Amino acid sequence: MLKRLRHRSPGDIAFAVFLALSCGLILFVTLYPVYFVMIASVSDPTLVATGRVSFWPRGWSWFGYEQIFADSRIWTGYRNTLLYTVAGTALNLLVTLPAAYALSRREFAPRKVLMLFFAFTMFFSGGLIPTYLLYRDLNLLDNWAVFVLPSAVNVFNLIIARAFFENSLPEEIFEAATIDGANYFQFFAKIAIPLSMAIISVIGLYYLVQHWNDFFTGLVFVRTYDRQPLQIVLRDILISNQAFAGGAGGAGGTGGSYAQQYADQIKYGVIVVSTLPIIVLYPFLQRYFEKGVMIGSVKG
Amino acid sequence: MRKALTATAAVVAGGLVLAGCTSGGDDGADDGGNGGGGETIQILVLKHPLTGPMSDMDWVAQLEEMADVTIEWEEVSADWDQKKSTMLAAGDIPDLVVGVNAITDSDLVTFNGLFEDLSDDLDALPNVQGMFEAVPETEVMATQPEGEVFSLPSYRRFWPQTATRQYINQQWLDNLGLEMPTTWDELFEVLKAFKDEDANGNGDAGDEIPMDWSPTGTGGFGFFQPSAFLGSLGLPITGGGGAGYFVEDGEVGNFFTDERYRDVVEFLHDCYAEGLISQEVMTQDYSAYQSVGRGNGDDATVGFSWGWTASDRFGAQLAPQYAATAPMAAPGADASDVVWSYDNYSLNYGPNSITMSAQTDARDASLRVIDAFYDQDISVQVLWGDIGPNIEETGENAYTVLPPADETSDPSTWKWTTSLADNGPMWIRDDIEVVLPSDLQEANDQAEPLADALANVDPVEDVFPAEFFSLSAEDSSTVSLNNTNFLAIAMQNWATWITEGGAEAGWDDYVAQLEAAGVPQNVEIYQGYYDEYIASLG
Amino acid sequence: MTLIEPTPVKAAGRRSRAATGAGVPPPRGLRRHFRRYWQLWVMAAPAIAFVAVFSYIPMYGIQLAFREFDFTAGLTGGEWVGLKYFRQFFESPQFWTLMRNTVVISVTTLVVGFIAPIALALLVNQVIGRSRKKFLQTATYLPHFISIVVIVGMLQVFLSPTSGLITRFLEGLGLTGVNFLGDPSAFVPVYVISEVWQHCGWNSIIYLAALASVDTQLYEAAKIDGAGRLSIVRHIDLPALIPTMIVLLILNMGGVLNAGFEKIFLMQNPLNLSVSEVISTYVYKIGILSNQFSYATAIGLFNTAINFVFLVVTNQIAKRVANTSLW
Repeated sequence: MLKRLRHRSPGDIAFAVFLALSCGLILFVTLYPVYFVMIASVSDPTLVATGRVSFWPRGWSWFGYEQIFADSRIWTGYRNTLLYTVAGTALNLLVTLPAAYALSRREFAPRKVLMLFFAFTMFFSGGLIPTYLLYRDLNLLDNWAVFVLPSAVNVFNLIIARAFFENSLPEEIFEAATIDGANYFQFFAKIAIPLSMAIISVIGLYYLVQHWNDFFTGLVFVRTYDRQPLQIVLRDILISNQAFAGGAGGAGGTGGSYAQQYADQIKYGVIVVSTLPIIVLYPFLQRYFEKGVMIGSVKG
Repeated sequence: MRKALTATAAVVAGGLVLAGCTSGGDDGADDGGNGGGGETIQILVLKHPLTGPMSDMDWVAQLEEMADVTIEWEEVSADWDQKKSTMLAAGDIPDLVVGVNAITDSDLVTFNGLFEDLSDDLDALPNVQGMFEAVPETEVMATQPEGEVFSLPSYRRFWPQTATRQYINQQWLDNLGLEMPTTWDELFEVLKAFKDEDANGNGDAGDEIPMDWSPTGTGGFGFFQPSAFLGSLGLPITGGGGAGYFVEDGEVGNFFTDERYRDVVEFLHDCYAEGLISQEVMTQDYSAYQSVGRGNGDDATVGFSWGWTASDRFGAQLAPQYAATAPMAAPGADASDVVWSYDNYSLNYGPNSITMSAQTDARDASLRVIDAFYDQDISVQVLWGDIGPNIEETGENAYTVLPPADETSDPSTWKWTTSLADNGPMWIRDDIEVVLPSDLQEANDQAEPLADALANVDPVEDVFPAEFFSLSAEDSSTVSLNNTNFLAIAMQNWATWITEGGAEAGWDDYVAQLEAAGVPQNVEIYQGYYDEYIASLG
Repeated sequence: MTLIEPTPVKAAGRRSRAATGAGVPPPRGLRRHFRRYWQLWVMAAPAIAFVAVFSYIPMYGIQLAFREFDFTAGLTGGEWVGLKYFRQFFESPQFWTLMRNTVVISVTTLVVGFIAPIALALLVNQVIGRSRKKFLQTATYLPHFISIVVIVGMLQVFLSPTSGLITRFLEGLGLTGVNFLGDPSAFVPVYVISEVWQHCGWNSIIYLAALASVDTQLYEAAKIDGAGRLSIVRHIDLPALIPTMIVLLILNMGGVLNAGFEKIFLMQNPLNLSVSEVISTYVYKIGILSNQFSYATAIGLFNTAINFVFLVVTNQIAKRVANTSLW
């Protein structure tokens, strides 16, 4: 360690110190609240709400988790969400990546018009009612495909992927491949994709999380409880225990202290239950962010 | 067009294997259709979030048998507003919609034609007819200006006349040798003593919060809030205050522009400036407010507050420390004029508790189901749960509501868990005997100190009867637009004036702003509806 | 010190333009175009079809902003009222407050929220050691998954004027008497800082991916030239991010009037209402809660139109200045 330091300029040492300090601060600032969610999910909610829990759980109880897992619907929810997420993300990538590649080709003249065609939909939409009527006509209401088909293209992700293809794929490779007789299909499948694993994993992650967190689709377009995703199930559990959080006013103001008391514990528990799987996934994608792996290896 | 769309979608879906699960809605295994027979009808029920599955309720089977139908339930308990507007606008509703105000008056006028007019079907609804005769208010509530009946209300009779009770920590009074305060001035002195003298005796003179109330939010007032003090000045509010409308001697007004409201704000500012009100009263959320009320073990932290019952507000452990109190008299006001928020209509009546689709294929079956809800035994069970586990039938027309079977629960939570409770359509007869559950008894007992003040309220001349108004589409949109605009100004001033003062200096300017934002226009609209309502009472 | 001026990214861009300019003559006629580019059309077709069906078909609903919502006459059958609802919005006593609050909140979020992830990505990229780097990445990405309800609940607990952890910490530093939840001037900072804290890590992922594609040979060359770490960041890493930055900046500018509804709504209290009422919360209160479909659609349309104008303008500027654009 010291040996390494000796070889460095004062600027580099200052830089290293600054780096270490800021990383430490960032770690604390981001990890503490996450830690807080975890201890709050097993602490007495009254103590949490009055700021008496800060570093260790107090008034330990598993009640929140018991309530969450006592609900058998949660497993159906997990299964559904998993299905929608996997199928949805697969379709997303299948549709988005080729389109992004096509739109990244500068010699493809219609791309300007097409980009405008896509970008326009990021802003203007017909609203919920016409969308509902369309889905009804397409027989998508209460159908699992509603979680997959309408969200097949996210224009934001399309634009990101296109920018990446446009800026990060060296044009010489394309020229060389063309000389070797590769057409667009072959170039896309054999060269562009392997060279773009970093962006593909980012876009894939964006889509994955979008599907994972989607509760609105289930809320508005699905009626059968068996087809509802995890987020709807958790939201129902959460709300059923937050019954009086909006003020006991509601329909006659008839109490419910018991339910209220545990609402917060369940609230924090729900965060843990619903995000754990997706958090675990991230490190697996991270290997694609290793500096320079792909391009270096292909070129070399 | 539709075919073209479907074809396009099929092409679009080409890459994806869609085999297996396609559009559905016919696998009714989970729909709770347990028994019954005859026709199948779909009912969407807006449940309280605590309420368990409909299939767990025995009375549902009785209802099906009585009406000779099989019911497929669609159970909604969260985010109904978002779901509803789409569903209604698309004209996609089930045969019946159940739940108090699941379909609101505003929906009834906006989605004109979607709901069945029941006024010519009353012959098929003997129980409903019976309710209209026995409790005429229900008929007024159900009837639209042109005489249509698009929805039916519920009536539950046993609820107290007000939701808000006032509590003071008796043990603290005793600890400090203080008398129960009866006026604002005395209250002020008592709260000051609470703050300065370590009222809970735990050695920490700084942990007492003399006064606290339920978060007001940004949309007007509700139960358990200091709008209760308006009654001290003889201003008769309903439902905790709402958007400020009230009726006094037959005149509609809005207290946000009434000088008595300014007096309350000034009194509260005096308290706040002395540190007698929780520093977080304007910013805390409901769970923080509830948690603070529960104190720390045996040490209470709150001295004076409002709630539904002492055990709900302060938790079972601390509830015995608190005494329910009578309204405080304001300085200069005549004690005999003191009133209290009159909530009888909102507590004992549930507007729009059941509506029927105008396009239903099962008209007669749906009517039979509606009527069965208003049957005596079914009504009691809708409110308190199944006869057997939850209710004991002690005689011909006598019932006892049993304590929760789950010992960790409390009676009010239990009620919401096991039945539709206040959300269901029902008619609780005036001539039956019911031994009430302990929470309701507690609420009734602790309302006793308020009885004199409530007796000063004339239920016709001094009550703003919002439940009985059916606003036209145009009026309803004007009213809500104006409300949104002026409440933003009013609630902002409410909070600033209490925490920082300035009510007196800013008052005239404020009133002018509120008037520009449409308060007088709304008052005028409501006066018209109020006059019509009086006329309809005959 | 040698500057490693032409980055691979820029170079690739220039060369490709040169290639198109010289090698591929503009196609004469449609048939020729399709013969040459049918594969690109095939690749783009599914996305075009999905967007056409699911985004463009429902767009007829936009006319609701110009019509009276009339259920009996159908969605598009209501009486044509032109700009009535737009006028109603402009003439509302709240209009200027709403506009001011919306712009202040969203522009502040936009600026801070744009810079922070870039800084974070550059920082994380400097950390030496795979596992340390991975850990830091994962840690910063975690808060993104906490739901808004819980975030606001945590803000309540941490910032409580009497018992809050952060309040007490700041009191220790001598900063007393600030009511972060009630003071209107604290609303925007609290909103923006918590927003950046929550999404900074997540938003930096895209930049990390861009950094991953920097040619390692450049680093080697820079090291041989004796460049310090800071100058490597400045002259290699940062330029590598520029194309991504521009695209994201353009896209963000299209959100100039978007202030997150749910979080603001949950953070509202009567004390901060003067700065926390924004277009989306107003639409919610007026539209969703009282069936004002036409009015809500009109306000929404106004909102998106402004956003779209900003997008188009930024795009044109980017095209001129940075030679990058969405179209």
